[in-house]
Amino acid sequence: MKSPFRPDEVPDASLLDDHRSLIRSLERRGLIRGGLSLGALVMLTGCDVKRPESVESALLAISRLNDSVQALLFDPNKLAPTYPASMILRPPKFNAYYDVMDVKPVNGATWRLGLSGLVADKRPWTLQDLQALPQISIVIKHICVEGWSYIGGWTGTPLRTFLERVGADLRAKYVAFKTADDYPSSIDMASALHPQTLLATKYGGETLADPFGYPVRLRMATKLGYKNPKWITAIEVTNSYPGGYWESRGFPWFAGI
Amino acid sequence: MVRRNMSGVRSMRMRSICGALVIVASAAHAQSTTPGGMPPPPGMSLAESAAMRFPQPVRVGDLPGRDVLRPVESQDVLGHVRQLVRDSKGQIMVVIDFGGFFGFGSRPIAVPVDAMVLVGQDMEVVAFTPEQLRRFPTFSPSGTTPIADDAIIKVGLAKPSH
Repeated sequence: MKSPFRPDEVPDASLLDDHRSLIRSLERRGLIRGGLSLGALVMLTGCDVKRPESVESALLAISRLNDSVQALLFDPNKLAPTYPASMILRPPKFNAYYDVMDVKPVNGATWRLGLSGLVADKRPWTLQDLQALPQISIVIKHICVEGWSYIGGWTGTPLRTFLERVGADLRAKYVAFKTADDYPSSIDMASALHPQTLLATKYGGETLADPFGYPVRLRMATKLGYKNPKWITAIEVTNSYPGGYWESRGFPWFAGI
Repeated sequence: MVRRNMSGVRSMRMRSICGALVIVASAAHAQSTTPGGMPPPPGMSLAESAAMRFPQPVRVGDLPGRDVLRPVESQDVLGHVRQLVRDSKGQIMVVIDFGGFFGFGSRPIAVPVDAMVLVGQDMEVVAFTPEQLRRFPTFSPSGTTPIADDAIIKVGLAKPSH
């Protein structure tokens, strides 16, 4: 029997086909995918499902909403779990958007860390300058969006210490990173100031090896692996949304754990 | 440099990120845009190709028991590391309990360490296909010397294959 609530004019089901790749990305989220229908999208967003671009923008709007919910839930003082040094995986797991054979090592002697944006002192930093700052070590889990994880031991300067030292505006919204492997990234200021967010220069007590981001990489316990850029060459403090490599390809920006 | 996804459509695998609703747009590629664990280029020796994979120090005693995977998206488990030995020529070999089913029916084979890579907690055989490995002779310890657990050797890396 036809439902009394069925609209007279039903949207064309091929609209879902146009977004097959988006829907496939939800394959491990059977629950959500099961509930994803044209009707649900319309209810959520009021968008016009006859225009494919409006479906994509609706999905992105949901992702941005999720980012802001995560930012609200983030507790700047709550620490992620830590582990004994005996559990450190040596060597750590390599990952990038390319294979290891395409890694381009960075020369630590000529490397400089550039600064821009809402920062009082924009003088570039050398590796020696950075290593002269207070250092801490943490043993934390690296959790990748792909589903794997490992426990790693990282040493470096808390990003908070560095931002305070260069006179960054700590009320700004974003801290953005540029890297030698063209992997731009950015995080929210609250996460940048978290005590488990490091500019890491060592792994397992040894100088960071080339494939893992020598001389300096970001390592934070409160976000997924892809929010940890390696081979950092510049830091910007800004109020304009900087995006990032995977974020511009649809990954969530906040990516909290 | 243009990097192409060699494996065609590769679904993006999003794991749960907090409880809030996450919907991800644009899903043509996963974390990977080039595959990891590629075989050595034609004509290149195992040692030369291993040297291109940024060999990293690893404690020999940390390797036994690790899964040995096939470097494809399905990451089939080919076997498990049993021990490391030097063969009569001094070459480091990884003895793998190869094949079998739930621990039964496997047999040991010795694969040059330069034919393998470390992928996090696992290892992969990148220089030989499963078909080639099936034709490897069953490992015999005679003429080989075990390598001490505390020895440090260098093994190349690869990015995950999924």
